[in-house]
Amino acid sequence: MNTLRDLIRSRPIVTAAVVTVFLAALPFLLGNNYYVRVATIVGIYVILVSSLNIIIGFTGMFSLGHAAFYGIGAYTSAMLTTMAGWNFWLALPVAGIVAGIFGTLIGLATLRLRAVFLAFTTLGFGEITRIVILNWRSFTRGPMGIAGVPIPTLFGWTFDRYGYYYLVVVLAALTVGIIYRVYHSRVGRALVAIREDETAARSMGVNVFGYKVLAFTFACVFAGIAGSFFAHFQRFVSADSFANLESFAIITMVALGGTGSIFGPILGALILVILPEVFRFLAQYRGVIYGLVLILVIVLKPGGLAGVKGIFEKPKTPKRRKRR
Amino acid sequence: MFLQQLVNGITQGSMFALLAISFAIVYGTLRLVNFATGSLYMVGAFAGWMIVQFVTANLFLAILAGAVAGFIMGFVLERFAFRALRGVARIASLICTIGFAWFINELMTVLFGAERKAMPPFYSDTAFVISGVSVSWLQIILVAVAVVILVLLQLLIFRTRIGLAIRAVSLDFKTAGLMGIPIDRVISFTFALAGAMAGISGVLASAYYNAVFPFMGNIAGLKSFSAAVFGGLTSIPGAILGGYLLGLVENFGVQVISAGYRDIIGFVIMVVFLLVRPQGLLGRKSS
Repeated sequence: MNTLRDLIRSRPIVTAAVVTVFLAALPFLLGNNYYVRVATIVGIYVILVSSLNIIIGFTGMFSLGHAAFYGIGAYTSAMLTTMAGWNFWLALPVAGIVAGIFGTLIGLATLRLRAVFLAFTTLGFGEITRIVILNWRSFTRGPMGIAGVPIPTLFGWTFDRYGYYYLVVVLAALTVGIIYRVYHSRVGRALVAIREDETAARSMGVNVFGYKVLAFTFACVFAGIAGSFFAHFQRFVSADSFANLESFAIITMVALGGTGSIFGPILGALILVILPEVFRFLAQYRGVIYGLVLILVIVLKPGGLAGVKGIFEKPKTPKRRKRR
Repeated sequence: MFLQQLVNGITQGSMFALLAISFAIVYGTLRLVNFATGSLYMVGAFAGWMIVQFVTANLFLAILAGAVAGFIMGFVLERFAFRALRGVARIASLICTIGFAWFINELMTVLFGAERKAMPPFYSDTAFVISGVSVSWLQIILVAVAVVILVLLQLLIFRTRIGLAIRAVSLDFKTAGLMGIPIDRVISFTFALAGAMAGISGVLASAYYNAVFPFMGNIAGLKSFSAAVFGGLTSIPGAILGGYLLGLVENFGVQVISAGYRDIIGFVIMVVFLLVRPQGLLGRKSS
């Protein structure tokens, strides 16, 4: 693992080229529409999991309602394109912005609270979102959902299965790339400082509340974008796709991959989307497996697969941790 | 109409109160939220249902079975999800209980199927009628059982040695340990007790709504958590107050807004409380 990491670090351009070629060739290697579809779903989850990782892994906050922002993005995009006749390319960023606005509001209201309360408030928000979508029939069509979300087109070319795949690869790569750049910036360092020790961060002049709201909003924007893509990919949205269990699935992927790592979320999404597809005969046990994975990871391997120092790990010496 | 809502509110409030106490006991002792409380409620309901279905149609035996099942599950949960994680970020054990809740719910779905199972009606005869509102024996029994349990719990905590130990651990568990209190055993017992409360609540709810199903605990657990929050998470009387208030507010609230929004009333109140008065109605201020 370490030698691989070193190799990647020392040859970034070569690595990028290899990854690009691999991702570009993947649909032809898979050669099966169904597999390409699974790969596309992995892409959606890479965006969702990476964005939730900003909240959980980088900043150490807890959101149990990430699926709500995903759903808000999906509904925004679906409604703008079917009811207002917008173009997908305009609806996609707007979906991100709308989800981000909701994220800011929730963040402003709750990020001063203790972690546990934040967790339950976001969980409550997820449930509220779902119930409002189901009940506000005149606006969201309630339990019937929104069907016939248009297929995106680009310069007269209509997206097919491969088109969706390439689009999600681009979106996921942009997401991971932006998150990577932010993580290694002043903002990223501030977030990690907050995670490690809020009081110390504050005394160093970090605007803790401001950065928390910023991180939360930032993550919600990506969730909204993932939602928009999902709406146009599935071509149908309903509240069921964005229930709390979806939030838990995303959290499980973050925990499995490794909180606070850039690569971990990709790994988590990859494994937990593909695993149930490979073991189709275990379909009815999907939830059992996810729950078990979540327990086992947190109890046995709190750092996740990526093996970075995750937030679930026991501090070596309580209270005063030193990094040097 | 007013009286009808009052009666319904008190009956449902009893179940919320028991479940809210389950949260309050655990939070009060360890400052941890047991997300799987709703699942313990569901497991309790299933235990009660199995007694009624396969042994004898006795409501009180079912309640006992629910309590025992909840007690055992609470113990197991503490052993596997909490003990290993003591000293780690609290949020890790919260997430772990989410995993546990999910696991139990799905396991029950695999074992029993996701559809609702009917609980036979118990004591559905009308006990008395006040100004056009009929109150069934079942409603009286539910409220009475809840009240008896609440009194017993208060006695247990304030009149017995184990209760003293629980109070000591909840104040400061390090010092309690130094004073020779077996912390691990006390914490195990606390979780088991919380589980028993949830289990009893589950059986009462399944008798009241005539239904048992694997996901019955999700919404109930969340709502009762809100009830516990606005009563004050650390206080048992607060949880009781919160539970009954939630029952009443929900039933009266439905008169004002559409019934479809019933389930969000509790969350909205919880969020308001968290912002305005995070220690709840009766809770003590903590750092």
